[in-house]
Amino acid sequence: MIATPVSSLLLAAGPGVPFGVTALFAALLVAMIVCLALEEKLQAKKSVIVGSFAVVCLLLGGWLELLPFRDMVLHAGELDIEFPIYIPAIDWGVMAIILGSSLFVDITSKSGLFTWIAIRLTKLSGGDPLRLLVFYGVMTVVFSAVLNNVTAMIIVGSLTGVSLKRLGIEDKLLGFLLIEGLLTNVGGLLTLISSVPNIIVGRAAGISFMTFLVKAAPYVVVATGFTLALGARFFGIRRLQDAEAIAEAGQRVSGFDENDGIDSRFAFWFGAVMLVAFIVTIASASIPGTLLNRLGMGYVALSFAVVMLVRYRSVADRFYQALDWDLLAFFAALFVVINVMEHAQVLEWIGRGLRPILLMREPLGPGLLLLASAAASSVTDNIPLAAMLAHILSAQGVAGDSSLWWSVVFGANLGGNLTPIGSASTLVAVTIIHKHKIPLSFAGFVKLAVPYALAQLALAAVYLWLAF
Amino acid sequence: MTKLDQYESAFRSADKAVYAYERIEPREILLVSDVGGEVAERLLDRSRSFLSVLAGDQHRWQRLDGDGFDSVGSLLEAVESREPDLIVTYRHLHSNAWQWPYSLGEHLDVLTQVTAVPVIVLPHPEAGWALPHSLQNTDRVMAITDHLSGDDRLVNWALRFTEPGGACWLTHVESGADFDRLLDVIAKIPEIETETARVLIQARLLMEATDYIEFCRKAIEAQGLDVRLEPRVSMGHRLSEYRRLVEEHRIDLLVMNTLDGEQLAMHGHAYPLAIELRQIPLLML
Repeated sequence: MIATPVSSLLLAAGPGVPFGVTALFAALLVAMIVCLALEEKLQAKKSVIVGSFAVVCLLLGGWLELLPFRDMVLHAGELDIEFPIYIPAIDWGVMAIILGSSLFVDITSKSGLFTWIAIRLTKLSGGDPLRLLVFYGVMTVVFSAVLNNVTAMIIVGSLTGVSLKRLGIEDKLLGFLLIEGLLTNVGGLLTLISSVPNIIVGRAAGISFMTFLVKAAPYVVVATGFTLALGARFFGIRRLQDAEAIAEAGQRVSGFDENDGIDSRFAFWFGAVMLVAFIVTIASASIPGTLLNRLGMGYVALSFAVVMLVRYRSVADRFYQALDWDLLAFFAALFVVINVMEHAQVLEWIGRGLRPILLMREPLGPGLLLLASAAASSVTDNIPLAAMLAHILSAQGVAGDSSLWWSVVFGANLGGNLTPIGSASTLVAVTIIHKHKIPLSFAGFVKLAVPYALAQLALAAVYLWLAF
Repeated sequence: MTKLDQYESAFRSADKAVYAYERIEPREILLVSDVGGEVAERLLDRSRSFLSVLAGDQHRWQRLDGDGFDSVGSLLEAVESREPDLIVTYRHLHSNAWQWPYSLGEHLDVLTQVTAVPVIVLPHPEAGWALPHSLQNTDRVMAITDHLSGDDRLVNWALRFTEPGGACWLTHVESGADFDRLLDVIAKIPEIETETARVLIQARLLMEATDYIEFCRKAIEAQGLDVRLEPRVSMGHRLSEYRRLVEEHRIDLLVMNTLDGEQLAMHGHAYPLAIELRQIPLLML
């Protein structure tokens, strides 16, 4: 559950909030979501947008006496520890996972491991366009699952630009990058730590790492195969037939040196071993009753980050600088806003609105929630959506094994494929497309991506119905 | 620097120019001189002896003597009509200007730029500037350039003229003056750390040529060529560096690019090199 012992005091704030106050905070929530959708136009970072709303919400919440200041004291033995109201509002477990895994992945990538894998696969394809698409597609899914969607898109997208230029098939670049962008959100479904909505919803529903993987994997495999097949057909990406062309393509990709980015063999193997150990440890942390389970996935992520930092101890500050502080500050502020919304009964309102859907029988209820989540996350950030819906489902007492949680997970991830602003990774894909001087408007992206996104959502709806 | 740029740089760096070996066989070889009769015949014999790597029936030598052309135009016409694969000549044809070593002479100046056929420029027969080891054989050949990476043609020609058991130097010299000028600019940009830039740029400039030579070495081994490859990748003043290397290693033939698709004049430093390095034969591509 998201609620910590102290924050549960915050959640206990009773009803009796005047209609006008709830409406005011609902308007603030809508305004924040609109501002996040217009992030590019406003030329403001997410953390600044949500941080500004957090400041206003806390001020108004305090002034309107919605916030339980009196309960902000933790009695620890003889000590009374007083908390600022916004501290227990933040889910530090989620923050620890994101901070730890970001740091760990960033340091591991310095070993050259991911570029090595990417280049090995490029050479293994022999420069054949269709094999290259399949390899890059699968690599995108796996990297999205193990790293995060944005890093996966950056690695595979940047290699795609270089390798397709090398092979002289730059006319296929749009197809490759679009399919990779769409697959980042499919890969983001694979594990509990693959995307932030997974972490938030998974923690709220009490879904373990292994359960998440086992339930999501069949869908990810089918959706990946389907997306690749459709993409290859639509963009005319075929196997090379001519022996001369095959030989030339093989010669061209043979120039890639997978060892170029590896400064130290020890660092490379250390990174590889640590990555495998990280995945295994995160998975084992979900076994109930174990020490790691009690310490939590955040502890595991932070511990691995610290071990990697020991390897690079003299330049550790460089990795701190490279952290995505905008993302971390955004999460912290978002949790504060959602907490205030809870006290203002806004989430209760939305929950009441969603109740008819939640009470519907399968497959209609989960299907509608899937579509609603996808539609909402296609135009704004899927993280506030996931955080809000996770709170609402918790508050409505939805059981942890209900398919409704998975509707939110699938919808929040796959909705990002409907528009270029639907997810950070599709935005990165569009940025790379534009960097290669390929014209692609917002509407152009929607036109190309909608068939894939709708097919993926339809597959998800069927999967939710059959498998849960 | 964004992560996207970091990864793009990493992959561009990993994308290396691959060398493909191709044996070159110049069948028609034309010796152009401003002499005739026995003198021309002796020159032909000496040239054939020097270029013994081109011995055999598949190589046909022809002479274009001094009386075969009297102007640049007629020289070009004569060369065009004979369709050679390789021209052998020397500086200052039909001229005494060889005494003043400041040009190649009008015939060679134009010939090297008009024709795409490689030209071997011998030391002038009358000047006596040839080094003692010069014109004996070609067991020590050096290819010189400021951009070796991907220049298969240059390497293939250099290898073709290296006698079995001989050594072929692949030399890449980056201009130290250009590098210093670049660093002067970087030193004035607060966003770029000067020392880091100096170390990284220098390493990158030299690494590409080094990697390419490694590809050449592997290809030569795969072909079973009996040639020792000597890599020389450095930064400095090109002309003095080349001159030093020629003297130090007693080079028999210097191979360099002269044609530049983007200009009428000779490629890069080819012209000053062709004027200054007149003690040994040059192969101008």
